[in-house]
Amino acid sequence: MAEKDSRPLRAGVDQCVRIVQSQWTKPPRAAVILGTGFGGLTSHINIEATFPYSALPSFQHPTAVAHRGQLVCGELAGVPIIALQGRVHYYEQFSFAQITHPVHVAAALGCELLIVSNASGGLNPRYRSGDIMVLEDHIDLMGSRNAFTASERSAPVRWRQPHFYDAELATMAISVGRRENFVCHRGVYVAVTGPNYETRAEYRFLRCIGGDVVGMSTVPEVIAAAEAGMRVLALSAVTNVAKPDAPDAVDAMEVVDVAEHAEPKLRAIAMEVVRHI
Amino acid sequence: MLELYGQVEEAVAAIKAKWDKTPRAGIILGTGLGGMVDEIREEASLGYEEIPNFPKSTAVSHRGRLVCGTLNGLPVMAMEGRFHMYEGYPLKQITLPVRVMRAMGAELLLVSNACGGLNPYFRNGDLVVIEDHINLMGDNPLIGINDDRLGPRFPDMCEPYDRKLIDKALEIARKEDIVAHQGVFVAVAGPNLETRAEYRFLRTIGADMVGMSTVPEVIVAVHCGMRVVGFSIVTDMCLPDALEPADVSKIIATANAAEPKLRTLVRGVLAAENV
Repeated sequence: MAEKDSRPLRAGVDQCVRIVQSQWTKPPRAAVILGTGFGGLTSHINIEATFPYSALPSFQHPTAVAHRGQLVCGELAGVPIIALQGRVHYYEQFSFAQITHPVHVAAALGCELLIVSNASGGLNPRYRSGDIMVLEDHIDLMGSRNAFTASERSAPVRWRQPHFYDAELATMAISVGRRENFVCHRGVYVAVTGPNYETRAEYRFLRCIGGDVVGMSTVPEVIAAAEAGMRVLALSAVTNVAKPDAPDAVDAMEVVDVAEHAEPKLRAIAMEVVRHI
Repeated sequence: MLELYGQVEEAVAAIKAKWDKTPRAGIILGTGLGGMVDEIREEASLGYEEIPNFPKSTAVSHRGRLVCGTLNGLPVMAMEGRFHMYEGYPLKQITLPVRVMRAMGAELLLVSNACGGLNPYFRNGDLVVIEDHINLMGDNPLIGINDDRLGPRFPDMCEPYDRKLIDKALEIARKEDIVAHQGVFVAVAGPNLETRAEYRFLRTIGADMVGMSTVPEVIVAVHCGMRVVGFSIVTDMCLPDALEPADVSKIIATANAAEPKLRTLVRGVLAAENV
């Protein structure tokens, strides 16, 4: 089990807000968490300030492949946003408080929308490598819900709605897929701890309980955002589709490569959604 | 995980001081395979307390020593007594002996356990060659910053159990007229046995047998690049609609009765390695 950091992170959130606002005074409308392969979005942001995670209290430095660690502030499609380039994961032995800290900072800065992306393994046999899936719901097999304790909360809970994922934004994302002519599904994300990829028996299990894709991130951040009253749009780049009856090894570098090829699709959705808020 | 490399080196140094051969296989003797140790021509034996960073075992019917020697001429290291998550050990500690076996040179891990049968075609005392697993322990021994000297960040798990060794074991079983199935093993933390509803759940998700061990060791073996073969003895049938209270002494008796059959498979699989 990951060690829990029970220190109240509230002070860290306030300090981060002060540091960001000392250099960048625009009120951000949205925060974007750039998962595996989505880092390239930053080249489409009109960057006005950047902060390495090391300069921000309680931010943790990512150890995963293809994850940098910096907060980027600027405008995307003319809208002030912040982008979190690189995230930390439960499999790196970070606590849920540490994983969700950047989301609490985003909420405290005034972001009303969280766009979060990840790379995932496809369970649904109709999915293909390179497809995008808009999260309609999730199954938390990572234990995230249990891991949030009152002492770890850095902000009061402000549930906005009973759904984690904003249906209107999801529909908008799907329509971008039609317009731009790429395959964009609506489906269920199963979160597991990792770090190993699943066995064939585990793929069958996750498919049988209703999962469309499986990954090792996103759910903690989504729960934190929903608790803070933010609207959430979560996008998954399907990097490989599990075929438990004809197994094939998963290669981490191939995952990163496919996710990077999916980047223009994620970008098109993110820009459209940001434009509309 | 960055502390593990040094811990493994310390343990290896302590073992090499008593036995410096290169083992071909590491063996974890689970419930009902403890007697296998009698077949090892023992060249050195270390109590777990003598090996740096090894935890101490507490479970019923498990002793705690590492036996080094040859089994039908094949150099092996065998763990007599294993560690379980339900005893409160962190998975990294439970699986350290596997990394030590690998660092000593073993390329094959052979594991055994006693399990509950979920597949209704199974019978008490049957053997199952583990074909695949589901990890429902709620934890993973690889969580932490990865040390690339030990293995990859995201190990693939599409074939954790060596297909050739599964087929070899089944072939030996046919020749020797031993009932041996292949099946999916689901690992839970325990220590309570499952409720009827949980048995139905585990069967529904595709498991043939359930137990409280083995999967952490196998994940680590795959992480460090070992081939794996695993055996379960069905010691108690978990049929939710005709469930009888579990009796630990009966479970151990069933395991002991099945032991000669399991020994035959283990001997055969290891003999195939010795060419």
